Amino acid sequence: MSELPTYVLEREFDAPAELVWKTWTEADLLARWYGPRVETIVHQLEVKPGGLWLNEMKWDGNSNYQRVEYTEVTPPERLVWLHSMSDADWNVVPNPMMPDWPLVLLTTVTFEEANGKTKMRLTWVPHEASEAEITCFAAAIGGMDKGWGAGMELLAELLAELQS
Amino acid sequence: MEQVGYGQTSENLDAIFSALADPTRRAILARLAAGEASVNELAAPFEMSQPAVSKHLKVLERAGLVERDIDQQRRPARLKAEPMAAAVSWLEEFKQFWSSSFDQLDDLLDELKQVETKGPKNE
Repeated sequence: MSELPTYVLEREFDAPAELVWKTWTEADLLARWYGPRVETIVHQLEVKPGGLWLNEMKWDGNSNYQRVEYTEVTPPERLVWLHSMSDADWNVVPNPMMPDWPLVLLTTVTFEEANGKTKMRLTWVPHEASEAEITCFAAAIGGMDKGWGAGMELLAELLAELQS
Repeated sequence: MEQVGYGQTSENLDAIFSALADPTRRAILARLAAGEASVNELAAPFEMSQPAVSKHLKVLERAGLVERDIDQQRRPARLKAEPMAAAVSWLEEFKQFWSSSFDQLDDLLDELKQVETKGPKNE
């Protein structure tokens, strides 16, 4: 299991690490940025090893639930959690769109401050995943990384036209 | 481009992503989005043999992205938009989720910094 596909996202925030940390670990702040163009409801947030973040995202009468279990909490530099989709009762469920998508993704976020700015690095790795889950994850993130970019946008436009 | 792990269902996004990983196949899909076409018609702009185009079409068919008439001589291929749209929007959502969230986080951090410089909170 040494060659698990890993998805990496990096970003720099113009704020000290202490402040960035707060926005990831305080429920009212987390709800304000997490989830694009949706209403985010933090049902539970206990940022400590074994603690849970139970999150609901609402839009157009739909709800999407996710269950996060923290495994490592080192303020203000490192957060590790197990990330899953869940039903409304917070039971872990497979992705309805993609049954072979890993049920649990090990998510690691690190914050590194330099000159008042904070470099963030976020990685996803399939956690205790089956071969099928690993293959599925690798195929999907491979596509993202290869920069389908313009081709995909063109297709998306054409499809939108087609379906309008 | 290798193809691995094909499932049997037309909604298998895994197969769809593998099929989409090839630029020729994306070009074929873009052409089909403009209307159905025979293998001949598809081969013309690609400087590619008909068997090569047929091979690409088979990959797209297995992924559920394209269907072909069985009983007509021309056997025109046509785009099946639904699985395609599902894959595109799923992928876009995944990609967009964090980057859009981080844009929001940028704004929030700016706001928090302003609050802190006006009067630091006791914590």
